[in-house]
Amino acid sequence: MTQRLRNWLLVAPAAAWLIVMLVLPLSVVFVFSFGERAPSGGYVPAFTFEQYANLPARFTAFKNTLILAPLGTIMALLIAYPLAYQLAVRTSQRWKTLLLVLVIVPFWTSILIRSYAWIFLLGGGGIPALLASLGIEDVRLIYTPFAVLVGIVYGYLPLMVFPIYVSLERLDKRLLEASADLGAHPATTFLTVTLPMSISGIATGCMLVFILLMGEFLIPALLGGGKVFFVGNALVDLFLQSRNWAFGSAVAMMLIIIMLVTVTLYMRLISRLNVQRDDAQLM
Amino acid sequence: MLKSNLDMGNEAYTERAVASASIAELNDVSKLFGTVQAVSDMNLRIAQGEFLSFLGPSGCGKTTALRMLAGFETPTTGKVLIDGRDVSTLEPYKRPVNMVFQSYALFPHLTVGRNIAYGLKQRRPKIDSKSIDDKVTHALETVRLSGFENRRIWEMSGGQQQRVALARAIVNEPKLLLLDEPLAALDRKLRKEMQIELQDLQRDLGITFVLVTHDQEEALSLSDRICVMRAGRIVQTGTPQDLYDQPNSRYVADFVGTSNFFDGLVNQINGSTGSISLRGGRIYKSHLSGAISVGNDACLSVRPEQIRLHLSGTPETLEGKVLNRIFLGEHTEYLISQESLGNITVLAPRQSDEGLSNLGTGDTVYMDWSADAALILPKD
Ligand SMILES: Nc1ncnc2c1ncn2[C@@H]1O[C@H](COP(=O)(O)OP(=O)(O)OP(=O)(O)O)[C@@H](O)[C@H]1O
Ligand SMILES: [Mg+2]
Repeated sequence: MTQRLRNWLLVAPAAAWLIVMLVLPLSVVFVFSFGERAPSGGYVPAFTFEQYANLPARFTAFKNTLILAPLGTIMALLIAYPLAYQLAVRTSQRWKTLLLVLVIVPFWTSILIRSYAWIFLLGGGGIPALLASLGIEDVRLIYTPFAVLVGIVYGYLPLMVFPIYVSLERLDKRLLEASADLGAHPATTFLTVTLPMSISGIATGCMLVFILLMGEFLIPALLGGGKVFFVGNALVDLFLQSRNWAFGSAVAMMLIIIMLVTVTLYMRLISRLNVQRDDAQLM
Repeated sequence: MLKSNLDMGNEAYTERAVASASIAELNDVSKLFGTVQAVSDMNLRIAQGEFLSFLGPSGCGKTTALRMLAGFETPTTGKVLIDGRDVSTLEPYKRPVNMVFQSYALFPHLTVGRNIAYGLKQRRPKIDSKSIDDKVTHALETVRLSGFENRRIWEMSGGQQQRVALARAIVNEPKLLLLDEPLAALDRKLRKEMQIELQDLQRDLGITFVLVTHDQEEALSLSDRICVMRAGRIVQTGTPQDLYDQPNSRYVADFVGTSNFFDGLVNQINGSTGSISLRGGRIYKSHLSGAISVGNDACLSVRPEQIRLHLSGTPETLEGKVLNRIFLGEHTEYLISQESLGNITVLAPRQSDEGLSNLGTGDTVYMDWSADAALILPKD
């Protein structure tokens, strides 16, 4: 068997999967986005840019997504990093496994059920009631952007913790000792050794969480209560309720384009950061 | 490569150590890891400017002792003093000490030059970048790595990495430089070169060196003083010559150089000499070393090069049969089997007797040694 043939055989399953699961549906959406809604809902073939012209009708959904997804990613990063650091660097081997399991435990129940718990917590009988008993009246949390932010940060935190944890866990702890030995203050050690050496974990975590948040619909539906909705909610509405497949496809295409652009820019930035770091080191 | 103070006696050295200020001290220091006693009741004064080595087998606590000096471990009991100040719980980054790690611990995300400059950049007040560059260049010259500034750590061989680690420490000119087996990964030739380099550095900079090694040759050739360790304890501290000539136990005699040990019973003590009766009934008079009293099990230690070989016997000589003979150039090493004492190693110089050079396996030889050449040591 030639090397070439073997390579082809190895790549074949992945390629087949990619074609069936990604390229085909994407082509369908692409074609639909130039079509029209059938009178009874669904799709009739056509070639029109009408659906794209109509996109501003869903401006709020795009706005919410493009604000809350990056914000949620950053918040998740800010909370996840210290947590991952504590787990990877400070915790003794004995407790590590237990605490790591605790990070995963929420995944054992569906996000649906956990979001319902948040509905209760943020709703009238939860935190607002508690605040009221302390004399802080009329705090409204549920069905606000804040509630959605809390929900998405909560839901996606583990996905941020793990890549960062892995990169910090892989970090040779003796490097931290070496830095201290050379007279570096712990804060300096963090900035010059720990942070640069965990940048790959940060990049992976942010990318993962950001991409998933861009397509999120469940948490805004439950905690946003129809007031704070994402593009994902618009899509659910267009495909399942109003059955306007053509317009839904245009919205989906728009989301994909935005994602492609932001992810590309993000990748550029990350590799630029790496290059700069390399340059700075050439004395 | 012998240093002038090698032939200083123990007393002379002690005087010097007391006269010059001690840079660091371990006072009754013990370190427990859970139930593992890594270091026990360690007492040590490290004199300003000396080259001290910790010598001992793997796992005897050498690294742990060093880490307590560097500040990475806090003693469970006891005190660590640096420059007269109790630093037992002082953070490592505040100590005027640098360490060359057993595992190098070089920063993989920085170039060789940046690694070496790391310590200099932490200085306050700041050092200007021109002098940092100069110092880095000079340090690289010292470890024979000129021109490697911009290399990445993973582009360096193991031995080169070790030298970068060394450069990263010496460039800071610390008061106390701790070296945890810094030359272990080098080949013999480079190792010798670096040993000489280390010695020169230590003299030129006047920095106190504490070296950890389990290579006795390295310890003997480099150190002013050696601390022989065993299972977390210091067994004996002294100049290389002291340890070689006056080991206080069989363990030290065995670890520093090689020796033949004959088990026996102490039957008389007379000041610093005594006599021991060996298996087979022979009685030898010799110097005593270490804690021994009459009636104790002890052993007689005779260095291989102290045993003389003869072709004919007298009542005082021991008879044996040559088991093996290894030609070593200047010397010939014989393994001789003796009826009651077991196997004996003898190192005979080349220019000895004509007949001896023809000795072969199975031949009979006779051995003796002068009373001064042997030592009666406690059996441990
Ligand atoms: N962090 C630790 N936790 C538990 N035990 C430890 C720890 N560090 C060292 N030890 C134990 O303490 C003892 C001394 O270890 P140390 O590293 O000081 O030995 P060493 O003399 O440097 O050995 P080597 O020559 O192999 O480097 C060993 O038994 C080791 O297993
Ligand atoms: Mg060690």
